[in-house]
Amino acid sequence: MEFLVDGFLTAFQLLFSADEQTFSAIYATLKVSIYSMVASLLMGVPAGFCLGYFQFPGKRQIRLLTDTLLALPTVFIGLLVYAFISSRGPLGHMGLLFTLPGIAVGQTILALPIVISLSATAVESMDRHLRVTLISLGADRKHLLFSSLWEIRHSILAAALTAYGRVMTEVGISMMVGGNIKWHTRTITTAIALETNKGLFGMGIALGLVLMGIAFAVNISVSALRKR
Amino acid sequence: MGSVEPIYKLRDLRHAYHHRPVLEIESLDIRRAAIVGLLGPNGSGKSTLLRLLGFIDRPTRGSILYNGHPTLPFADTVKSQVTLLPQEPYLMKRSVFANVAYGLSLRGRSGNIPDRVQSALRQVGLSPERFCRRQWNELSGGEAQRVALAARLVLKPAVLLLDEPTASVDAASVELIRAASLNARNEWGTTLVIASHDRQWLDQVCDDMCYLFQGRVVDTDGSNLFFGPWEPRADGHYEKKLANGQCLVVPPPPGHSAVAVIHPSGFRIVPHKRETGPETGKDPCHLEGLITQMTLRRGREQLAVTLAVGDLGLTVTSAQHEADQQQLYPGKKIRVRYLPADVEWISGRN
Repeated sequence: MEFLVDGFLTAFQLLFSADEQTFSAIYATLKVSIYSMVASLLMGVPAGFCLGYFQFPGKRQIRLLTDTLLALPTVFIGLLVYAFISSRGPLGHMGLLFTLPGIAVGQTILALPIVISLSATAVESMDRHLRVTLISLGADRKHLLFSSLWEIRHSILAAALTAYGRVMTEVGISMMVGGNIKWHTRTITTAIALETNKGLFGMGIALGLVLMGIAFAVNISVSALRKR
Repeated sequence: MGSVEPIYKLRDLRHAYHHRPVLEIESLDIRRAAIVGLLGPNGSGKSTLLRLLGFIDRPTRGSILYNGHPTLPFADTVKSQVTLLPQEPYLMKRSVFANVAYGLSLRGRSGNIPDRVQSALRQVGLSPERFCRRQWNELSGGEAQRVALAARLVLKPAVLLLDEPTASVDAASVELIRAASLNARNEWGTTLVIASHDRQWLDQVCDDMCYLFQGRVVDTDGSNLFFGPWEPRADGHYEKKLANGQCLVVPPPPGHSAVAVIHPSGFRIVPHKRETGPETGKDPCHLEGLITQMTLRRGREQLAVTLAVGDLGLTVTSAQHEADQQQLYPGKKIRVRYLPADVEWISGRN
């Protein structure tokens, strides 16, 4: 147990002394997760709204596919993205391999089905009287869309939170697509994996605490938004 | 429904959900500034008709003329004059103030919103000081319904469509909702179309009544729809056996699920007299029943007398002076007469 206690002590030292290596991993994680969340929300919320709101041929099949993709393994996404952006892949010329944008592409693929599926569920469970109310008060299509989204904002937030949790904690994509390059593409989770392998528990625990801190801060923010 | 230029003209209107017809109206006019009552059993198409009148849904076929102009595609100028209060109103997840002001801002009426909202809340009996800042989830059912009505009244609509506005609210709210709705007509000349099961209220306030049955406008005031099974009689007529041994005699029905209609004016109250022998289909038929309710119909100087005849409820109209002469009162046993030839049929929809 001594090594765990030492690990916690080292963790606090690293955090309070603003250790550059630790903060590089935190910075990389925040940057890449923000990229992927912005992309997945921009694409996923409208797609989820359409999937939940409109009736069209093939809707059930698309829903089934989206729900299946919820269980997509991160290493498989990593493998696919790697295959596409490696020098031999169709998108190799973009130079995304072993970069933070490359990891963000993979994490977007991971988060997108979550945002789409949970948004669609929120829209489907929307009160059926909302549409009638909005139209009867004079809402056109644009207002109908934005007011409906505003009404389910808590569910959309929950969807975003779930996706963020998955993105923040994944290892497979960051490891395979990012390569875990120190000062460059090393994220919190890949750093924890590496440091633990090296027997350096202090840094692993420090980064673990940061992950939990970020999760706590995000939840506090969402909770505050819900009260508004 | 009258000779004044109607605000709505419905012609050959058909509406279906998933290819299942729910509304078939050949012709219906709604007069400007009139209060029109929509009656009918559950599933008769009242809510569907209100949604079409409110331009919420597009009819599958047919035309709705608003102020003489076609309304397809729905122009914003037309839509902004009409508003619908659904049976279960939805309050958005915002404050009471934001809920009431929402329609005003959508319709670009951004001037003096606080005063307008406060005035609308007062109209429905809610104190602006107490309610403006409340959230949607801090209201009782009656308060929520009144806020929803205030959100419509604040728009000063040309047409206010009310779908069961007083269903499932407390007694105090019922009075306030009724008063606020009528005030809209009296103050701004708003045309009111009210779907309700509260026959007594509609009788009191409505200028016109429209009875819907199985999606069709039925030429009756809503009473006296008699359902089978119809059993054949020896004289070629059919009958429905009632719980107390009496029979409702009718001509041969057009189908198994046909519904018989006898207009209340088709019944006459007659003195008690012992009959001998069974009644035949050719002669006037008689039924005996107990008066359960008497309602004065607005502007018609007529009483609607409701009778319990065995397990059947039927309504008979009587002029006021006749009712005086015959000393009608609830609880009195009376005898009514009708001619089987006066029975009309509605083909049932299975």
